[in-house]
Amino acid sequence: MEDNIQNICTECQEKTKILYKYRDGFFTPKLKGINHLEVGYSWVISNPVTIFIEYLYVVWKRIRRLIRRLSNWLFPRRPHIHAGRLDSYITGRIIHADHKETTSPIHHIKLEFWGRTKWYLGFQWRKLGETESNNYGIFHLDYTLRQARNFKTGSLRLEIHQPFEVHYNGDKPSTSHRLYHSIPLIKTNLIGMGYYVHTLALPLWEYRKDTPLPRTFHSKDSHLISEVFSQGRIDAFKQQVIPIELTKRKHMFQIEKEPGMLSIADIQADYPENLTICLEKKLPGYSRSDEWFGIRMMNGMNMGSFQPDKHDASLYHIRYFGICNYDHNTKFALPDADIVFRIDSAGPPKPVSITFTGQLNAYNNDPWQKHTYTPSSGDEWLQAKRLARVCGSVVAEVDDHFAGTHVNTEQYAIAAFRNFRKNPVTWLLYPHLKEVSVINVSADNILIHGFLPSNTALTEKGVKDRVYDAMGTQNWKGWKPMKVINDSHTYAIAENLFWDITGKFVDFFFEKYEAGIKEHWNEVYSFSNDLVNHSVAVFQSQVITDMLSTEERERSRERFEYACFRYAYDPINSVKIVDGERKVVSPITLTENFQHEEDFRNLKSACRYAIMMATFSHTWINEHQYDDLGEILYNCGGLRFGDKQRGVMAPESDLSIAPDLTRSTQMLWFTNLLSRTEYGFITKNEEQDIHPYFIQLLNENKETFAKLGVDIESIESRTNI
Amino acid sequence: MKRKKITLWGVLYLWISEAIDKFWLWLISKIFAFLIAVFMSLQGRRMSHNNGIAGQGWLHIVDDPKFPEHPFFRKGETFPVRIRHASAAFLDDAMNCIRSISIKFSHHHLKSPFDIEMNTGVTGLFWSAASFIAFARNRQEKWGVEYVEYNRQYPEGLEGAKISVRRHATSFHNLHYYCKTPFLFIGKDQIKRYAKYRVLPADNEKESGIDLHPSDWDLSNQRILPHETRGRNFLKYEYEERVRKKEAKYRLQIQTRVAADDDDPEIFNNMVPWNEDIFPWHDLAHFHIDHTLDWKESTLTTFSLNNMPKTLGVLPAKSIYDYNSLNYMRKHSEIARKARLLSYKIWGMVPPIPDNDNRNCEEWGQ
Repeated sequence: MEDNIQNICTECQEKTKILYKYRDGFFTPKLKGINHLEVGYSWVISNPVTIFIEYLYVVWKRIRRLIRRLSNWLFPRRPHIHAGRLDSYITGRIIHADHKETTSPIHHIKLEFWGRTKWYLGFQWRKLGETESNNYGIFHLDYTLRQARNFKTGSLRLEIHQPFEVHYNGDKPSTSHRLYHSIPLIKTNLIGMGYYVHTLALPLWEYRKDTPLPRTFHSKDSHLISEVFSQGRIDAFKQQVIPIELTKRKHMFQIEKEPGMLSIADIQADYPENLTICLEKKLPGYSRSDEWFGIRMMNGMNMGSFQPDKHDASLYHIRYFGICNYDHNTKFALPDADIVFRIDSAGPPKPVSITFTGQLNAYNNDPWQKHTYTPSSGDEWLQAKRLARVCGSVVAEVDDHFAGTHVNTEQYAIAAFRNFRKNPVTWLLYPHLKEVSVINVSADNILIHGFLPSNTALTEKGVKDRVYDAMGTQNWKGWKPMKVINDSHTYAIAENLFWDITGKFVDFFFEKYEAGIKEHWNEVYSFSNDLVNHSVAVFQSQVITDMLSTEERERSRERFEYACFRYAYDPINSVKIVDGERKVVSPITLTENFQHEEDFRNLKSACRYAIMMATFSHTWINEHQYDDLGEILYNCGGLRFGDKQRGVMAPESDLSIAPDLTRSTQMLWFTNLLSRTEYGFITKNEEQDIHPYFIQLLNENKETFAKLGVDIESIESRTNI
Repeated sequence: MKRKKITLWGVLYLWISEAIDKFWLWLISKIFAFLIAVFMSLQGRRMSHNNGIAGQGWLHIVDDPKFPEHPFFRKGETFPVRIRHASAAFLDDAMNCIRSISIKFSHHHLKSPFDIEMNTGVTGLFWSAASFIAFARNRQEKWGVEYVEYNRQYPEGLEGAKISVRRHATSFHNLHYYCKTPFLFIGKDQIKRYAKYRVLPADNEKESGIDLHPSDWDLSNQRILPHETRGRNFLKYEYEERVRKKEAKYRLQIQTRVAADDDDPEIFNNMVPWNEDIFPWHDLAHFHIDHTLDWKESTLTTFSLNNMPKTLGVLPAKSIYDYNSLNYMRKHSEIARKARLLSYKIWGMVPPIPDNDNRNCEEWGQ
């Protein structure tokens, strides 16, 4: 029987693994781009006239690209430097634009000095000099005055190139640079000796000022963009998202014109079948069973942390803290949930009881009311499991998905892209940290501003505050994967295996490039400073506890204790205080030059952690969203209180507590979008930027992972959706 | 080492480009001198050093010269000497200015066998004709504040200003003056050398006026200090009094180096002083000023780098970027000097600088 269920589950997992075969045609709708996605109507072009105009635009873009290619061929930028006696120099300083004081240098950035010949000499590029900024952002570019000021030269410009992508040719890494900013120089201003171009404050990998979170500022000036998606990612996304976008648009149109013609069942039917629907068809009732509940809580999107009970060794708790003190609406329920499981030495966890703390209906709004349900509670037990799933999904989406992987990875990404240029760690981190900052811009719009405030109990402010708090226990130091409870705990087994592989890979890399890493230790020092100084404060360390009620204080303590357990966070490691704030992230090093072996180990641990978060941790949640959030009545972002006394403790048939039609289609659109529009996998290595040893290690463990239900081909190399 | 093959075209190209460079230097020098002559000299003004005082005395070439023998600087010979001290370029001695001394081996206001011009500071504010044009273009003077952009753009110009300006000078006499761009020096042994000159007070009086830690802004802000008590002409009065009481005595010194074909062009760079350990300064002459001249005679006194023996002249320059092009331009500005003297005949002399409270100005009419 158990084998049969397992086979059906595997079969359903295979069946619901959707691969869109989207064929682009002339009159098929087009998506403008990733940043044009909206929870409502995304910017899709569907009118044939507009499509035709769009087509002309695309043709123009192709021609432009062709012209550019032709131009590159006609006017090549040869690396040869035209110089004789280097009698003159250009000097200046490059700093980050975000600081109040001019003390944040952009170090080791590449600068090139180019001239272009006059029209009658063919507009040929002539490289006149190159250099890079020093540790303090100061640069000194030597050139030959007569080469810059001879009659051939028509125009001059100083270019700043940022390292952009890492490529591996075999196991030989190289960094490609991209023109970030160019400064035209007036020829007659160059008169020999030094020419000072002043201090250039550039918004290159700046921290945003409008949020306390470590987020990247993306300039609206197209000439000063820190990061963009790779073309492959854009193409893949555009192709994969169109079918689900069209489905959503159809529903939105129907809801607007004739809502009576559409039902939740219709909406569900229009989207691809997910795991639970497939299971229900083959094994009616199984997806609502205690066994499935335990399996999903353990190995599903939520991958819950089982905190041992203080009194009974066979009992474990999964705790979801709901609205807490965050700003929230009065439409949806999001109570705290304490789910108690009994876990034996084998087999999935068995739910024993679920206790909710908080409002369950529209009438009794006491936030401290408690309701406990057990398997003997009859229908209410089913309803309690549903509510627990909903609470778990919201918490996983905000705390684990957005904060734990997206924002957490971004804080390492900004610090890495701001600082690593010459240090070999560049080759290690860039491929895994790229694109997270740009996808987070979309996440701000779709998730934080769009989906979560309209589909869950939290308002936008509530979500933002919660993300800040959730970041308050994310630290590389001391982090370790989840403890394996038994053989059914496949998530933890897979997580440990991946962690070991990442460790082996990072050790290998550090051993190979040890000398280079130590030589350019000042980059590590700046990386550490940026990372720590911009990290958030330790969880609720800024809250004045005396102003909280006894219950609030107790909940805060319990939440912190559970978060420490879940994220393997030890507050003792958060040692740095900046502007009165105790920063959550531990420093990697405190010295500008390499001095302590422990710092070397710290760097290794931080890199390992960042790669883990950007790859496996994010992939797991993202991949499983459609499995666990792909059936409206099974699970959703929020159950409505409705107008009945029983509130959310009602059967699935009571549609007054389920999401309304708009929210239903939005939810399925959203979970599809996240789970099914991926690009950039470790083993596929589409952009040749992953170290071959990492791929080799994963391939060596392919079967072990497969036994745990993990397809290594689908582990993303970076967080970009 | 691989030898570079020289082709006929290569030679032709070099010849043409050199000719173009030289022509361009000549043209710019002439145009610049012409513009100065028309827009400044014909109004009775010098290009910059209007605010000055001249004096006369005698110069004695040292009896035991340590520098290579030269037929012009014969040991023990005495020359009449006329000098002029000035502050550039404002009509206010209390401003933060460069100070200068110009020397001619004659008591005549114009004619002389040897003239030389020097400013305070071991390095200058510009280093070639091209940089001088940029310097002039970027002056943008207003209310005594100038060269803000120039100082911001050119680090050497800024450094030169730090080294050269003397805000707190107590006397023209106790300053050190340097001619920074080298001159030709072909001595009795016919060996080609380069020479630099400087003037120090004979009594080794400590140099005054040096601001040790000026901010970049101070250098552009040449205005008098707040609550300034020194008058517009205090340096000239002090000099008159000093000369009247005890004469002003100076030492003229020379620094020489032997020329070579492969000399680094940087040796001609007036922003790079020669190493004094390798090329030490030697006394060339001692001179004393026994009386000062009145305003009219001071204003008439004119110096020219054309007044030099051939063996001590200006070094040839190849282009406007050549460090020697500075002296080349000076040499080609004869027309401006003549235009100024002509203007005195036509319009009369410019009036002396009044002792009034009209401070921080550079024009008589302001």
